Amino acid sequence: MSDLPRQSQVWNDSTIDDIQAKAELGRYRIRGFSQLRERPIPSFDDLTFLPCTLTRIPLEGYREKCNTQTVLGARFASQPIVNDIPVMITGMSFGALSYNAKVALARGARAAGTSSTTGDGGMLRAERENAKTLIYEVLPSRYGFDVHDLLAADAIELTIGQGAKPGTGGLLLGSKVSDEIAARRDLPAGVDQRSPARHPDWLGPDDMILKIEELREATSGRLPIFVKMGATRVFDDVRLAWKAGADVVVIDGMEGGTGASPDLLLEHTGIPTLAAVCEARAALEDVGGYGQMQMIIAGGIRSGVDAAKAIALGADAVYIGTAALIALNCNRPLYLDDYRALGTAPHHCHHCHTDRCPVGITTQDPDLMQRLPIDEAAERVTNFLHAMTLEIQMLARACAKADVHDLEPEDMRALTLESSMITGLPLVGTRRVFGGGPGWKRSTQD
Amino acid sequence: MEQIDCDNKTTREINTALRALISQGETEICVRNPRARHNLAVGLIQPAHIVFEGSVGYYCGGMGDGPTIEVHGSAGWGLAEGIMSGTIVVEKNAGNGAAAAIRGGTVIVRGDVSARAGISMKGGTIIVGGSVGYATGFMMQKGTLIILGNAGMALGDSLYEGHIFLGGQVEELGNDAVVAETDSQDAVFLTQTLAAFGYDAARYDFRKIVAGRKLWNFDKKDFESWRVAL
Repeated sequence: MSDLPRQSQVWNDSTIDDIQAKAELGRYRIRGFSQLRERPIPSFDDLTFLPCTLTRIPLEGYREKCNTQTVLGARFASQPIVNDIPVMITGMSFGALSYNAKVALARGARAAGTSSTTGDGGMLRAERENAKTLIYEVLPSRYGFDVHDLLAADAIELTIGQGAKPGTGGLLLGSKVSDEIAARRDLPAGVDQRSPARHPDWLGPDDMILKIEELREATSGRLPIFVKMGATRVFDDVRLAWKAGADVVVIDGMEGGTGASPDLLLEHTGIPTLAAVCEARAALEDVGGYGQMQMIIAGGIRSGVDAAKAIALGADAVYIGTAALIALNCNRPLYLDDYRALGTAPHHCHHCHTDRCPVGITTQDPDLMQRLPIDEAAERVTNFLHAMTLEIQMLARACAKADVHDLEPEDMRALTLESSMITGLPLVGTRRVFGGGPGWKRSTQD
Repeated sequence: MEQIDCDNKTTREINTALRALISQGETEICVRNPRARHNLAVGLIQPAHIVFEGSVGYYCGGMGDGPTIEVHGSAGWGLAEGIMSGTIVVEKNAGNGAAAAIRGGTVIVRGDVSARAGISMKGGTIIVGGSVGYATGFMMQKGTLIILGNAGMALGDSLYEGHIFLGGQVEELGNDAVVAETDSQDAVFLTQTLAAFGYDAARYDFRKIVAGRKLWNFDKKDFESWRVAL
């Protein structure tokens, strides 16, 4: 037998590190960012587009228009929001993010003609001033909730949960609860803030009907009301959101990011975004609400390709969070000593929870925050949103679509057996669907 | 006093009529036949004195900033939730989550209140003339909650800051809720605050409940507290 070192599949490096870290901490591990799973999960990479050949005629990529305008909330709201593109900035709190990051996201989104979203802890005045369209989150914690901010918003997002940690509340460790953040949230400075998992004034879906009515009454029916959920039992949850009278449903898959979460929730709860969008569409078709209640999909959307695939599967728009932070500078190889001090390196950093973000994004430290000049950061966000839009349009035109929202399941095929089963798309090289898919009507089956 | 009759009106029509009268400068408005309708007088941000002649449903006066509201009856869930300022008085009882997450203002319920009154409250004052259900003051952050009657289980569970004054008996204090000494300032505050709404503080032997602060930051040596809280 060789003397080369061998390692157990069970007791490997990460398992040993994990046990020994918990043996020190006495609790579960907490970190930021997104999934770090060693085993891949089904994703949009498991699908491929089928651009035009003889059976379809493509649009001229540099000549013919391809619409990207996206209208959200027309089901009940008298003032639905109209974004120029189907990519939006998701809710991230001032607290998890620095002031500069929040303002840069709002400004960057505005320049790209799309919306940004507030987050736990309320609305920054500068965020409102810089955003074209601002979505106001109403969260279980109600930190910083202010009716005047609600009335100044363009849409309301009633947040039930998020993909990174469904079924639990927010988390902001004491190192980030600065005097300013504490004052905004009415908390003692330095406290480990664990937000409630439930709303304080309603519990189940029948109560939510009344809560939505309250929000609608308070705003005289002007604003679209989104309902946002982490992706778990998506088929049932979307049907309940429909029944409750939501204008828009937001589904956040398990790849969704966060500023801080128990590691186990990031890795082991929820369902992948790919599966979530399929279940959501099936639910909308089941209740006859497809095309009436818009669907936004979130969770690990990295590019216009991901966005185009989500749209083709039934989403009206996508949210980006982590991708927008990476556009800001997250994980960029700058300030290398500070990455090393955290025990990490660029492209591997997930230390958003520590308040020591080397690039000034997930910190309340004034000195670190200065590393993120707002104008430059906003421009990078705008550029990235533009790039995503061009990517979506390129795929849409190649698939003969004059509107990106006309992308459809038939424009794609599954590259793997499991993605065929999840999506209901035929497996490449066959004309068959290997499994039931989520249940929507499939024109390509057989 | 201007009058609005809820009969044969939708909720939107009632709220629109309220807003219209307030914007016209009316400061005294009587709302007749509310019949426990939900979502009445929500999101009002101007001062006005509104009287509901009967019971109201969920979220009456919710998300307000300024109005004074009287309910001549009982109220459903989420009474006055999230208000920033103003005064809301309910003559009879209130349902779950009364004055949830308020940031200011004063909410008075002269009868009993169900579970989770003052949950996540962030400021302001709540006065309950009767008794309260379980998890009252759950995750309370700031403000003052005065209970003249008895309290159910888990009173003040996981509160961050703020004060609960209890005139009656408690079935069980919540996790990290502890009894603190009252002082002369508390006595003055209780006397003045309660007198403003017709209550005599001298009739009660108040206990003051505050945060033990064990849950502010994780301590692996205090596993028993965290086993319950996390």
